[in-house]
Amino acid sequence: MKRVWSIIICLSLIFAMVLTGCTSQGADVQTNSNKENETNNEFKAEMTFNGSSTLAPVITAIATEFIEENTTWDKVDSSFPDKYISIYVSAGGSGAGVKAVIEGTADFGMLAREVKSEELEKIGDAKVYKLGVDALTISINPENPLAQLRDNLTTEEVKKIFAGEYKYWDELDSSLPHREIVVVIRDLSGGAHEVFQKSVMGDTQIRPDAIQSPSMGALVTKIIENKDAIGYASYGMVNQNKGKLMPLKVDGVEPTEQTIVDGSYKISRPLIVVKRGELTAPQKAFMDVVMSEKGAEVIEEMGFVPVK
Amino acid sequence: MKTAFDKVSVFLVKVLTLFSLLLLSFIIIFIFKEGYTFFKEVPILKFITGTTWNPTGDPKKLSIFNIILGTLYVSIVAIVIALPIGIGCALLLSGYVKERPRLIIRGFIDIIAGIPSVIFGFIGLMVLVKFFEKAFGFASGESVLAGGILLAIMVLPYIISTCDETMDKLYRAYSPVAQAMGISKIYILRTIVLPQSLRGIAAAAVLAFGRAMGETMAVMMVIGNAPIMPKLLGKCQTIPSLIALEMGMAEVGSLHYHALFAAGFVLMAILLILNIALYYVKRSLDR
Repeated sequence: MKRVWSIIICLSLIFAMVLTGCTSQGADVQTNSNKENETNNEFKAEMTFNGSSTLAPVITAIATEFIEENTTWDKVDSSFPDKYISIYVSAGGSGAGVKAVIEGTADFGMLAREVKSEELEKIGDAKVYKLGVDALTISINPENPLAQLRDNLTTEEVKKIFAGEYKYWDELDSSLPHREIVVVIRDLSGGAHEVFQKSVMGDTQIRPDAIQSPSMGALVTKIIENKDAIGYASYGMVNQNKGKLMPLKVDGVEPTEQTIVDGSYKISRPLIVVKRGELTAPQKAFMDVVMSEKGAEVIEEMGFVPVK
Repeated sequence: MKTAFDKVSVFLVKVLTLFSLLLLSFIIIFIFKEGYTFFKEVPILKFITGTTWNPTGDPKKLSIFNIILGTLYVSIVAIVIALPIGIGCALLLSGYVKERPRLIIRGFIDIIAGIPSVIFGFIGLMVLVKFFEKAFGFASGESVLAGGILLAIMVLPYIISTCDETMDKLYRAYSPVAQAMGISKIYILRTIVLPQSLRGIAAAAVLAFGRAMGETMAVMMVIGNAPIMPKLLGKCQTIPSLIALEMGMAEVGSLHYHALFAAGFVLMAILLILNIALYYVKRSLDR
């Protein structure tokens, strides 16, 4: 009998918990819609960024500086209340950034690729801010004999290497040693690979046995560690590891700041922040800093090319 | 007073247990629900037996036979390496080491289990993979073997502690008689303890296998993540590393996104079967 009672009590408690869950959620939705109605009246002291792991350190750096300089919102603009500034940045990939904006779990989404039109549709009233450009360089280990031989590859050659048509270095040039080409890429569905696929590979498939690195750092490490490796290291990473990596020209165009910004170097991707709806006043204050000269400096420091 | 308190604690324990059960069922239902959307479009048999994984191609090819094989292969290699080492270590611990040093050594071995897997992965990438490239002249050291060796180190504590528990019990039961009869230690260990603890060893192997299959980070860093037919010295891809690698980038609600959940569901199904097997092995062990 006792047991029956305890089971009944347990069940009723769980039931009650479920019910409370429901009501509080309902209340949440209500307050949310209320908030939307009176955004101007209510001040939100925190904002959240989610998305590309390429862009996250940039926003974090700018945000840290912004917070250290001002601490509270009233120092940014005297019309704001004196609440502490909090800006949360989390990285989970470009796809996660768009997802967060669509689902409303973050205020801003960070992307290291163009926003797809179906994504724009899902967001609805989307605002897109282009902060800079990140270029992918076709990089090899400086000890690779190819480095002495030539500093240029044509798109066709790059394509053949990454597609696996050239399996050994001597197939590219007969004076090179007969050693296997080690192709290093990022994960196939990631932003970096998407850029590479679009601008170099076209419809050609990448060789299935290419090494998929879990991060750009791991990809660069692989090229630094392995003499036969070739991969698409980001421009920023090459700058941070000068001398340890050798970026090659593609079709005679060297990846430099100038060629990347004017678009003549073609393997590049934009760094974008998306937002649903109008910026609130504090969000605008922060985005102004991001888009300013100072923001551009940080972007450059991180190894990307700011858009002027 | 005391009885009232007792009743409250019993009640609290029951609620907490029920809560954890609910949590488990929620996870299973969630994964199944997300995966089910995928299985409606692609038949499960095609998903499991097809060999091409290409989420960006047109049309998308989403089949994980190679990846399932890779997961199993890496784990089997790990068990094959770790089992003899673990059994040897457990035999030594239960037969030759006195109680105090035994506890200390066990403590050190258990520390291995507490090292974060990303650290193992990093060591694997910088030492193991590099060693394969330098010593054997591989084009790239990322391989099933590298993943297997790394996992073997990681599952070793589980094997040792499970085996040691069984063997210690057996040795304690038989050693006074054996010593009275003047039989050497190694003879007892070899002829009585080892054959009698076969079931315990099997349980340890299954437990370690389950652990190895679910390991993500360390494996992801040393296997090259290429979804091809796995060979011992070639690259491969495992289900956890596939999910970790691609989940962040997959567009929400797309077929690719649901396929990753479906892969997770397959992994969970395999692990569930393994755990049921473990349960039966353990039950026959207790008899």
